[in-house]
Parts: sequence; structure tokens; C-alpha cells
Amino acid sequence: MISATFNHPEGTTDTLQIDPGVSLMKAAVLNGIGNIIGECGGQAMCATCHVLVQPEYRDQLPPLGEDEDEMLDCAATERTEGSRLGCQLKAGEHFSAIEVDLPEAQ
Amino acid sequence: MDATAAVRTGCPFTDKRSAVERAENAPTEMCSPVSETIGAGEMPVANWINVAELREDPYPTYARLRNESPVAWVPAIKKVLIASFAGCLFAEQHPEIFSNNVSGAHMTRAFGGQPMIRQDGADHSAERNVINQTLRPKKIKEVWEARFIANTQTYLDALEDGGPGADLNDVFAAPLAAKNLIDLLGLSCVAPADVARWSADFMAGAGNVLDDQDIWLRCQRSREELGSALDEAFARLRKNPDDSIISLLIHSGMPEESVRANVTLTISGGVSEPQHIMTSSVSLLTQHPEFLSWAQEEPTRFEQVFQETLRLQSPIAMITRETTTDTEVDGFRIPGGSQIGLLLASANRDVLAIENPDEFDPTHEARRHLGFGSGDHLCAGKWAAEAAVGRIAVPALYERFPTLRTDPAHPGTWNGWVFRGFSSLPVVW
Ligand code: FES
Repeated sequence: MISATFNHPEGTTDTLQIDPGVSLMKAAVLNGIGNIIGECGGQAMCATCHVLVQPEYRDQLPPLGEDEDEMLDCAATERTEGSRLGCQLKAGEHFSAIEVDLPEAQ
Repeated sequence: MDATAAVRTGCPFTDKRSAVERAENAPTEMCSPVSETIGAGEMPVANWINVAELREDPYPTYARLRNESPVAWVPAIKKVLIASFAGCLFAEQHPEIFSNNVSGAHMTRAFGGQPMIRQDGADHSAERNVINQTLRPKKIKEVWEARFIANTQTYLDALEDGGPGADLNDVFAAPLAAKNLIDLLGLSCVAPADVARWSADFMAGAGNVLDDQDIWLRCQRSREELGSALDEAFARLRKNPDDSIISLLIHSGMPEESVRANVTLTISGGVSEPQHIMTSSVSLLTQHPEFLSWAQEEPTRFEQVFQETLRLQSPIAMITRETTTDTEVDGFRIPGGSQIGLLLASANRDVLAIENPDEFDPTHEARRHLGFGSGDHLCAGKWAAEAAVGRIAVPALYERFPTLRTDPAHPGTWNGWVFRGFSSLPVVW
């Protein structure tokens, strides 16, 4: 199980234990974590799974994919350095623990 | 944790055609005044639902379903209908339970092959990824917007030639939607009217549960016509690849037969929905001149008009699924193997999810809706439609004809309920 912490814009925090291979988006959506939508189910087609990865967890992540990069430009909240698509980040494969801030709007 | 949710991709525009005629041809049962409940936790039976009333105006039926039984067995439609926003969203988020692999046989026969919509898992997602490449916002902007703009001008001219009283659906919305799709696909020398006719024939075929021979013949004829157009496109695009969907598909290594089936699927699904949003937008803006002036002040606001129209008059009211296992939605047990209808048009008016849901109000930011479906099945044409209709066609209509409105002397006519939109909408200016 891989630990993921979600900091909500309202100030609250949720933590999940995720099975390896499951994306951050899927884990959040199926466990009712708010402020993340995942409208396209993880195809990098919607940018409603935008997360802002805390600096200390960024280095382990794979480089931005081309589609991911393009879709982040369409995110409802302007992207920052730590911006990623939650659907492209898989527990175990891409992170061994993670903490993300959720944006104001998806 | 749902670690094994199969990635199924597909478009609510396209994988539900099999539902149309089946639902619309289903025998209408006698109305009974109340829902019968068949036991706690069991699904109520909504035998008061009448298909003729759905065609007339479906929204009172949806409201009653949401109030009385958001999950109900509906004999007249032979499906379990899910009417709530939360229930529809749950189903969309659990494709491993709510499978899209339903009534494939008719679609396969109508389309002459197995389109990607009928595949599952990795194969399916690989095929969908091929077409996603040209349907993301950047390509839409760089490649397709200029075409959409040029096509819009062509049919604005046609509307102008038609003069006040012209039918917006016939002269503008239908041919423009078809022409945009012709370009996206990479067909050439094909008339929009033919594509619109093929689309109707394939839809009828996919839903031909009564095995009407005439429908199979129409399907056959349209497939042959499309076949010749595809022969030409394959030869041209093999030599000169471009960003069109057909080019991407053939160069992805997909067998020709599958490309044919997938193009057939796209044609059957990609015409009427953008067409219906164009006409519905004009109808709603005529009823709400205050929002027309609001959008005219700042034309990017037409994008919000697009979303709100899609929410309030969802052109795809119902999508079908089949449960793979017993499940529970909104506190009701649904057995595995059930035919399911997700009432997106009802979900989009659920007061539990949306404030004042029956009101048209494009000024609300982010009124979330399920008009494109959600999850793995989210419509592949979402970004294309937002650009072609919301950013281009509708604002251009009002730029050319600032006083455009529906003709008070000749109200438009509606058609269908599973797929619902204006079949005619005379306009004046
Ligand atoms: S879920 Fe759509 S881009 Fe991540």
C-alpha cells in the first residue's frame, strides 16, 4: 500500500493507502476525495485531475508526458511548477509516497 | 481499492445507438398511477412510464423518477433506469460493473465489423488513444479550428441566401455538423447531405432489433457508398498522411476492416449531437434575450452557453450499459446481467447536484454536467464540439445576424427522446 495525502483548498487533508498500479486520480475519485474529478477516466483528455505535487515528492516522478503537458495548459486553475495530471501518476510505478495540494477549481 | 478497473474507452455519442430504436420502438404499456415497490432495497417498478410522453416532453417523467425512484425497472423500455446524478456518475466511474458491451450484434451487423466501442481493456484503449491524438485542444486549435471557421462561413452564407424564415436545422446546423465531421475524418468529395443520411441509416441499423429488412438494406447501401469514399481516402492518405482520424487510424496499423467499422461508428454518432446543440442554443437564447446580450458583450461567454445548453437539453438523454455483477445504486439492489439506461438528461437536472436545475443560466460558472458522459466513456469529440459549436458556430451566427431568433409564427419541432433535438427550427432576423 502506498500512502497519498491530499491537501484541500479549504484547508482539510485526506490520506489514502493506494494499491500499487492504481493512479492517484482513480484512487481519489473512487474514495470520494473532493476537488478532483477525473472526467475522462484517465486518458489525459480532460485535465480535471490536476494536482500540485509538493516539492519533496517531485523528483521520483517521471518527466511530463507530451499529452500531459498539453492538457495541463487547459487546466481550470493555472498550472505551476508542481502541476501534474493525477491520472498519469501510478502508485508504486511512479511514486512510493506522495503529497499533493488540490487546486481551487478543476 | 479498485485496482483492476478495466480501461474502456468509448463515446456516449456513439456506443448507444443500439438503444435508440429499441427504446423508441418498445411497446408502450398502459399507464398505472403509482410505482409498485417490490420490496425493501429491491427496485421499484415504474410501469407508469409512457414512451409517447417521453417523446412529447421527457422532463416531467425524469422529475418524477428522480423523486419517486431514481433507480427503477421500466417495463416500457425494458431497462433499469438510473435517473439521479449521483447514480449515473457512480455507474460511469465503475465501468467494470457497468459494461458497455451491450447488444453488440446489431451494431456489428449495421457497421459491417467490430468498432472499438465493442472492445475492452488495453486493445480498446490503444485504439482510442490513436484518435485522441488529433482531438486534444492543441490540435483542435492548430489544425481544425480554421476548417470549422471556414465551414461555418459557408453555411452562414447559405442561411443568408435562405432569408428570414429559413430552417436553421436544415440549412445551417445539420450540414455544418456533417461538414466538420467530414473534415475531421479526412473524407473528401463527399456531400454533407450524404453523410447526414448515412448517419441516420447506421443509427437505425444499430438499433434494428426488429430485424426490419428495409433498414438492413438502407444500411447496406450507405455502407457501400461510404466504402467507395473510404477507398479513395485510404489511397490518398496512405501516400500523404495528415492529421485526420482516418489517416491516424490507417497509419496506426489497424486493419482496414476495423478502420471502416470505426469510421462508420464515428459517422453514426458525430453528426446529430453538435447539430442539436446549435439549434437548442438559438432556441434558448431566444427565450432568454438577457443572456444573449450578456454573451454578445463578451463572445467567449458563448462557451458557457454551450455547456449550459448541453446540460439543460442534453442531446443524448440515455446511454446504455449492462451490469456484470450484482450491485447497489442509491440504496437499490441491481442484479448482474441487467440492461441499464443511464438517464444523463435527468442527471443533468438533478437538484441534489445542481442549483435551480430547470433554469437556463449560463452565467453560473462550472455547473457540472454529464452531457458528454464521464470516465472512460467521455466523448472523444468533446474538445472538437466545444470549439466547433461553442467557440465558433454559435457566436458566428449572432455576429452575422445580431437579431437572430426563432420564428414566433413557426415554432420548431422536436424529435426523439433517447437522442433528442430539433428536427426543424425556422429562424428570422
Ligand atoms: S482524468 Fe482526464 S486528464 Fe486525468
